[in-house]
Amino acid sequence: MIAAVQGGLASLASYLAAHVLLCLVPAFFIAGALSALVPQQAVVRFLGPEAPRWLSYTAAAGAGSLLAVCSCTIQPLFAGIYRKGAGLGPAVTFLFFAPAANILALSYTGVALGAQFAIARIVLALAFGIGIGLIMAVLFRPDDAAQPADSRAFAPGGGIPGRTLAFLAALVALLIAGTLKVDFLNAGLLRLEIPWPGAAAAQAALDRWVPADAATGAEGLRLQGAALILLLAMIGAFAWRGIGKIEDGFNSLTPATLFLAALTLVFAALGTDVSSRGLGLTVTGRSIAVLALCLLLVPLARRFEAWDRQQWLWETWRFVQLIFPLLVVGVFLVGVARVFIRPEWIHTVAGANTVLANLAAVVFGVFMYFPTLVEVPIARMFLSLGMHPGPLIAYLMADPELSLQSILITAAIIGKLRAWTYVGLVALFSTLSGLVYGAWVDGASLPVLGTAVVGFVALLVGALNLLEHNRKVPA
Amino acid sequence: MLIKILGSGCPKCNRLEQQTREVALELGIDATFEHVKDLDRILAYPVMTTPALVIDEDVKVAGRIPSREELRGWLVPQASR
Repeated sequence: MIAAVQGGLASLASYLAAHVLLCLVPAFFIAGALSALVPQQAVVRFLGPEAPRWLSYTAAAGAGSLLAVCSCTIQPLFAGIYRKGAGLGPAVTFLFFAPAANILALSYTGVALGAQFAIARIVLALAFGIGIGLIMAVLFRPDDAAQPADSRAFAPGGGIPGRTLAFLAALVALLIAGTLKVDFLNAGLLRLEIPWPGAAAAQAALDRWVPADAATGAEGLRLQGAALILLLAMIGAFAWRGIGKIEDGFNSLTPATLFLAALTLVFAALGTDVSSRGLGLTVTGRSIAVLALCLLLVPLARRFEAWDRQQWLWETWRFVQLIFPLLVVGVFLVGVARVFIRPEWIHTVAGANTVLANLAAVVFGVFMYFPTLVEVPIARMFLSLGMHPGPLIAYLMADPELSLQSILITAAIIGKLRAWTYVGLVALFSTLSGLVYGAWVDGASLPVLGTAVVGFVALLVGALNLLEHNRKVPA
Repeated sequence: MLIKILGSGCPKCNRLEQQTREVALELGIDATFEHVKDLDRILAYPVMTTPALVIDEDVKVAGRIPSREELRGWLVPQASR
């Protein structure tokens, strides 16, 4: 029992220290900016019933990654595209692409599991999202022909303003500079040493509390990490009033909160080492880049009106309130669960890239319902326990896409038959994603894989067309 | 005056309602408020995104929260009619 709780706390501590800061802090600010500053009409206008097919599918994917950071957007937008706009196909593409491609999921996947998983997730979700959309459109074409269109909903509403683009670009650059693992960012430029004889002893104490264990993939906690957790708690305390009360206007704690957040990011980008003499701090290319970008954000943010800045911070804080507590609880429970799961079980079920292993991962993903983003620490636990990357991707595709709750909501909007067809297709394509990615990791060549996937989809579409044809003949 | 807020009951929608109520109160406008949560009724209006604000059956804004100045601009001419 004690071991389990300790496992949970240790997992929480190392997550907060290692992964959350440099990725989730900027990602929350980006999500807030997308939600508050990007006019939804800029994307929605391409989703009307008269839009050309290629444009509507592209725009549906764009809407999935730009507008769907908030769950209160997904449902009406999905229903709207289906009933009044471009139809079932793009609506399904939007629904499928949204959970895999939003900025929070993507950056968190990249940092916790590695950039290759994030790239695989977005590429596969895009390809198969459009694929499933097209198949659904073919399958149910006869029923979807006539729908009353209201062109007012798709009125051209202007593009995304330049200052918003510049601001978003700087935020994304900050996210990338903080997380990208390349040499020139990691190179040390200047080393300072703080004389603190107790440093080694403090580190030893941390190692005792949060033991690192390569066998189970448990990470230790470094002094820098402990300091970052403290800073994070301070940001939380300041933000409670500084950003939580932003509706009533900026207060004196607002700049303090933002300054503290920037300071934390810069501090997290420093290299640290512990010796018997003290604590060494290394200024890296990353620290310089993060600092420069934080400074750049100030004039860029000033180009917005006070109301827009207020909206941005309000949205950011809402995301934090919505997601962060669930994530903390999720990570803790994952740490507890890890104590009980034997690596051999994972090895037996999903240690290799087989159809059965991928199917098992998909079934687990469908029947387990985890809140947004918690799928990532779970996937990380599986990875460290020896799951093959193929089934892991299959799980990552299926879990956020399908849950009993989302199936029921979808069924209410598009009908039971369509909803269950969609579920079947997602399960099929998630399994396929896993197999493809697993084969690629195992060394299969890209042209062969590409041909196999294209062939499979062509076969499926051909069979569906044939079915449709046969159905029409007797009638 | 009939003011409808279209939204699924998400925090953004509640905030729009609260904001609108405050501005109406401040202007001394006598308005009936309705928070429309039914998806079919929401989609009957030409909106694709929520929250949306409908004043006397005219959609004023969809998908974002307007500033207080904007709200005043919409509420005052309607009231003086």
